Amino acid sequence: MKYVVFTVLVLIPLMLVGWVVREGRSVPPTAPLASAEFSAIGAASALAKPDPDDAPLLALFEGTPGGVKAKGMPALYDEKRLFDYIDGAAPLYIDRHFRKLAAVEMATTEGADLTCDVYDMREPENAASIFLSEKSASSRTVDDWPQALTGPMSFVFRKSRYYVKLTAFDKKSEAALPGLALALRERMQ
Amino acid sequence: MIGRRDALRIGATSAMALGSVAAGLWLHSRDRLVDTHSLPTIKDHRVPKPAGAVDMVIAHGADPTLNVRRAIEALGGMGRFVKKGERVVIKPNIGWNRLPEQAANTNPDVVAEIVRQVRAAGASKVWVTDASVNTPEQCFARSGIQKAAGDAGATIVLPEARAFREVDVAGRILRTADVLYPIVEADRVINVPIVKQHGLSGATLSMKNWYGVLGGQRVTLHQSIFVSIVDLAVMVKPTLTIMDATRALMANGPTGGNLADVKTMDTVAAGTDEVALDAFGATLLGLDPFKLGFVIEGLRVGLGTPRYKDLKLVELGS
Repeated sequence: MKYVVFTVLVLIPLMLVGWVVREGRSVPPTAPLASAEFSAIGAASALAKPDPDDAPLLALFEGTPGGVKAKGMPALYDEKRLFDYIDGAAPLYIDRHFRKLAAVEMATTEGADLTCDVYDMREPENAASIFLSEKSASSRTVDDWPQALTGPMSFVFRKSRYYVKLTAFDKKSEAALPGLALALRERMQ
Repeated sequence: MIGRRDALRIGATSAMALGSVAAGLWLHSRDRLVDTHSLPTIKDHRVPKPAGAVDMVIAHGADPTLNVRRAIEALGGMGRFVKKGERVVIKPNIGWNRLPEQAANTNPDVVAEIVRQVRAAGASKVWVTDASVNTPEQCFARSGIQKAAGDAGATIVLPEARAFREVDVAGRILRTADVLYPIVEADRVINVPIVKQHGLSGATLSMKNWYGVLGGQRVTLHQSIFVSIVDLAVMVKPTLTIMDATRALMANGPTGGNLADVKTMDTVAAGTDEVALDAFGATLLGLDPFKLGFVIEGLRVGLGTPRYKDLKLVELGS
């Protein structure tokens, strides 16, 4: 009996010390997110973790669609993380039942950079809704493709549950946008 | 049956346990006090207004460098705001992986000219920094600001984890925040936003530009966006604000990308009243400033006036 009492009494201070170290000397409840977490924005490993539903999304970037190759793994953003990529535009997507974004920088064979953002909006009607809401007054429609719009340095389209935004940074990458868009459309179910 | 010796052992061990409890609780409460009371605050960076000085300048012209130069001159020169030996941080919008033509970031020529003016006024240190939304290295390079500001003599501070300091914000949304260290250490702060439409707040102008000094919290801040915008403006209190409207992003902000959404304005506005500057910026976007929540909130807390035409205003043509 006495050994049990000794053991309990010895364990109590050890547990208390452990608790104090863990709670009392760590981040207080009101503290913001750690800076380290912020600094990892853009690194896929610190973003939303892929789940089985992301397989079709990630498969879009395999190989060289339209002669354009991803420069790294796509960064995935879920509802909680979307603000970290598009800031105040996020509610427009979240209100339309956004599921996940795959964002990746790509390059043409000539080395011209562009960005590709594919939003999984869960249902085709949600993708159609965000497509209409972001339609620029001065964007041009694309022949034989009413679900696509183009503008200088930009190409956007929707297909099934996906809404895609392609952005170029020079004339070379701008010329690659329609080909990439067509290749991505072919891959979308 | 417990003997006398065992009773002494149990008593001694109990005393140790109680002592540990007391020590633990003391340490715990002490650390909480340290967390809430010993954090630095951000100083008030404003300078007194000289008698008769101009409050706000709007400069129009095709050359953004010249617009900045003329606007500062009309305000009384950079010497009104920066004294010899002071350390100055310039805070543009470098949030996005976008070219200058896409008008998501502040124009690099505007930033470079401000760096030159601040250095000419005798500043001992000039930082240029922003907590980019997209990958910082890409944003700083593609915006053209890293090269333009660096060539003009500024020290570029990327938003790495080590670049942040925890400060006491005392705001309504945030009590504490991780803030880029130049904002905490500088003697003077110059806010250099770009004029953009913004999906949630209507516009992103001077006051909203302070989101870009923070690490983390974007989701939290956007839940009460008008209050948090003004909280941050109250927190920083810049010395001077120079608003870039060389190009304005009229739709699909804050990210943009499509040049069809960009309108050339060839305008730079400068002054010390962020609410007034935001009201003017709203008009460039075709918005009624009295219908923008953060402008109204800024007026309500006494940060400034949206009636910018009532101020001592100078408008310079091209």
